[in-house]
Amino acid sequence: MVMTTILEIIFIILLAGIIGLFFLGLSRKIMARIHWRYGPPITQPLIDIIKLFNQTSMSHGFLFNFGIIFSLAGSVVVLLFLPFGRICPLSDSGGLLVILYLMLIAPLGLALSGGEAANPYTSIGISRKLLLAFGYELPLLLILLTVMTHYNTISIVEIVNKQFQAGWSFQHLSLLLPGIAYILILPAILGFRPFELIQAPQEISSGPMAEYSGKFLALTTIQHAFNIFISISLFTNLFLGGAANPGYFFLKILAVFVIFLFANAVFPRFRIEQAIKYLWRWPSILAFAGLIIVLITGKNF
Amino acid sequence: MDRNNLGKWLKSPGKMGQKYSLHALYFCTGCGIIEIPPSITTRWDAERFGVIPVATPRQANLFLITGYVSVKTLRYIIRSYEQMPEPKFTVGFGSCPINGGMYWDSYNTIKHLDKYIPVDGWIAGCMPRPEAVFVAVTHLWTLIDKGMADGYNKYRANYQYYRENQEKILGKLEWPPLFSKNIKHEEYRTIA
Repeated sequence: MVMTTILEIIFIILLAGIIGLFFLGLSRKIMARIHWRYGPPITQPLIDIIKLFNQTSMSHGFLFNFGIIFSLAGSVVVLLFLPFGRICPLSDSGGLLVILYLMLIAPLGLALSGGEAANPYTSIGISRKLLLAFGYELPLLLILLTVMTHYNTISIVEIVNKQFQAGWSFQHLSLLLPGIAYILILPAILGFRPFELIQAPQEISSGPMAEYSGKFLALTTIQHAFNIFISISLFTNLFLGGAANPGYFFLKILAVFVIFLFANAVFPRFRIEQAIKYLWRWPSILAFAGLIIVLITGKNF
Repeated sequence: MDRNNLGKWLKSPGKMGQKYSLHALYFCTGCGIIEIPPSITTRWDAERFGVIPVATPRQANLFLITGYVSVKTLRYIIRSYEQMPEPKFTVGFGSCPINGGMYWDSYNTIKHLDKYIPVDGWIAGCMPRPEAVFVAVTHLWTLIDKGMADGYNKYRANYQYYRENQEKILGKLEWPPLFSKNIKHEEYRTIA
């Protein structure tokens, strides 16, 4: 039993890394095709990471090294609580509340690490990152609260199982509004346009990443890949019914990712105060309305 | 292009990675800024060769200096070059970094960029077409393959020479020397 859990943990971390890097490569290729370019090979992020590990890298002190590992570890731990198909190594413990807490570790670690570099662009990027996290946490909390109230459980595995019996959450009318709200905030969690203001290479020199070189940049890339996998998996598990086997689950997250990529390709970028205004208005209103509807109509299970 | 040659990847992953993932820092000092956007956008897509512009010197390993270098920008070119992680490659784009070009008698531009930082390759012309960037990249691949793109090692070995030249034109530099030891100082002098 313990052995299977350990094997599952290793398997899911490797799989998430591979899928995340594949998504990064796919995003560069699809963005290039939308721009009418040929685009890099789909393995380009892997090539970049191999190169970055073979470079010298400058450290800026203890917290600079620690923060990046902290953020990567935070992402890896969230993975263990998310069901991937039927595979979920730590399904017995935790649930949505734990995921909600752990999801904050990744931006916090990057903020610690970047703050040590004492670059003005890094400070601007970090303040934007934390403000944006502040912006999408409110609707996200409301959405998760609605889902938990509707299904009367905090376990994400149980939510997925209930969706097997009663259809996707989107098919329940009372969960339609929170689902739409989640779609509206997902680009902010992924760091896609119109919420690409954290890195913004043309504006603040790639923000928190400005001082990263060599293996630090490689680790941030891997963390970004994990982050993409986590945010889309959470959405798929909560609203698109999860999946019975990993292959089907992969197809689902691929479809969601490509749709958000198209949005990423055509939108310009918000300013930070516009982003906060937007996040605290429309998704929050929708999620709150959904919560009230769920409370009035009562529990279905 | 041997990007899909798995044997080479297993044999020397570092070298292959450096070849096919050139993160470029464009130091657009003057006229060359016009030639760079076409080369990275739709018409001549540089990203298919793995060349992608990055925002800061820390993330870059290809330093492209386009156009003339005035004394003022030289200071920032040197600082950016010293911030880049090794291995790093420099390419001078256009006539002006080579020998001054049309600014050959200007009091305010430097004439030979390779006196101040090591340059691995030149693209001649005033101005070169954007295709020339790709010719330079393929040449750079050959140089990396043969181990000849070692400007960063030359900088380390002959730092005293470069530092003296920099101080000659910029006065006293406000940053401390990057390397303290000087291995082949006298030897290099006789060659140069």
